Amino acid sequence: MAKRDIPEINAGSMADIAFLLLIFFLVTTTMDKDQAYIRNIPKKIEIKDQPPIDVEQRNIFLVKANNRNQLMVRTEVMDNPDDISERVVEFYRTNEQVNDPTNNFPMYSRITMKEIEDNLAQAEADAEATENTPNADQEIIDFKYRVVDEWMNKKRALELYGKKELPEIHPQAHVRIEVQKATEYNLFAKIQSEIEEAVFELRNDASKDIFGESYEIISRRYAMDKDPSDKEKLDLMDILYPDRFIEVTPKK
Amino acid sequence: MSKFRKESKKDAPGVNTSSLPDIVFMLLFFFMVATTSKESDPSVKVTQPEGVRTTDMTPFKQRSEIDFMYIGKPINPARAAKYAEMGMEYMLFMDNVAQSTPDELYNVNAVRRWKLDKFDSKPERMSEPITGVITCIKADEGAPSGLIFDIRNELQEIDALTIAYAVKDNGGI
Repeated sequence: MAKRDIPEINAGSMADIAFLLLIFFLVTTTMDKDQAYIRNIPKKIEIKDQPPIDVEQRNIFLVKANNRNQLMVRTEVMDNPDDISERVVEFYRTNEQVNDPTNNFPMYSRITMKEIEDNLAQAEADAEATENTPNADQEIIDFKYRVVDEWMNKKRALELYGKKELPEIHPQAHVRIEVQKATEYNLFAKIQSEIEEAVFELRNDASKDIFGESYEIISRRYAMDKDPSDKEKLDLMDILYPDRFIEVTPKK
Repeated sequence: MSKFRKESKKDAPGVNTSSLPDIVFMLLFFFMVATTSKESDPSVKVTQPEGVRTTDMTPFKQRSEIDFMYIGKPINPARAAKYAEMGMEYMLFMDNVAQSTPDELYNVNAVRRWKLDKFDSKPERMSEPITGVITCIKADEGAPSGLIFDIRNELQEIDALTIAYAVKDNGGI
C-alpha cells in the first residue's frame, strides 16, 4: 500500500467541552467568603439550688437591646450602635494603669513573678496531693491540673511580657449581651461586631507595643504555620485582654 | 498609479481558533482554584448584615468542618405568604437535609437530629469532638434573635458548643 499520513484529530470541539466545564464550575461554586464571629456556648450543667454568684456592677459591661431595636449600654440609652466599641475600650482601659475604686469600671490586679511561682508550686503540690488521695474524683483531679496549667500560662506570659508585673483585669469582668426575642439579627450582629472590634483594637495596640507587630499579622501567621512562639504571643494577649462574652438567652 | 490598484476580491482569512481551548482551560483552572463549592442552595432568602473584624471560615470549609444553617423568609412567595399567615415569617433551613415534601421547612426541633446526623457522617480522620464542630448560622438582617437563641439551646443539649454568626465583612468602611 502507498504510505498515507495519519489523519489529524479534529480538535474544533475542544473549546466547546472546555466551555461546558467552565460554565459548570461557574454555576456550582461561589466566590464570596464566609465571614463569621465564632462564639462558644456554655456547657450545660445541672443547676442545684444555688443562688447565682454576685457580680459587682463595675465588672459588667451590659449591652441591652429590646424588641423595638432600641439600645442600652450600661445605664444609658444609646442611639448610635457605632459608639459601643469605644465604650468597651473604655471599660478595659480606665483602671488599667491605676485602680480608682470610685469609678464604675473593673479593677486590675498586678502580680509579680515571685507570686506566680509561689502559686504555681502550691497548685502543683495540691494537684499531686489530690491525685494520691484514695478514691479521688477524676473530675477534681482534672480541675486541679487545669489550675496548674493556668499558672504555667501566666508564668510564660509574664516572661514574654518582660515587665515586673502582669496586669490582669478582674476575673469576673465580662461583656454581657442581653437581647429580646424579637430583636433583629441586624442589631445583634452589630453588637457582636462592635465588641470584636474593641477587643481587637486593644490587643492590636498592646501587640504593637510589645512585639512591634500587629495582632492581626501574628494571628494570621499562626493560622498558617502554627508556630509555638506565636501561640505564646497570642496567649499573652488573651490574658491581658480576655474576651469574655456572655450572651443571655432572652425570656421574652 | 497602478501601485494602488484595488486588489481583486478575496475572502477574509478565518481567525485561527486553535488556541481557544487553551484560553478557556486557563479560565476554568482559575475558577476552580479561586472558588469554593457551594455547600447548598438554601430555599430561604438571606441578606447578611455587615460587620468588621470577622473570622474567615474558608480554612475550615475546605475540610467541611462547618455545618451551615440559614434563617430567612422562604424564597417561594406562595410559601412565604402561607407561613406568614401562620405567624412564622422567618424559617430555618439546614444544609444537606432532603426535604420530604417541597412545602416542608424545618423548625428548631430538627436541629439536634440534623447536627448529630451530620456529625456521624463525617469521615473518620476528622477526629474533632462534637464540641468543636462549628455550626455557622447565616441569618437574614431582619431575623429575630430569639430564633438564634432557640438554636443555641438545642445545640447546648447535644454538647455542640461552637457556634458562628455569619456577617458580611465590610472591611471597616
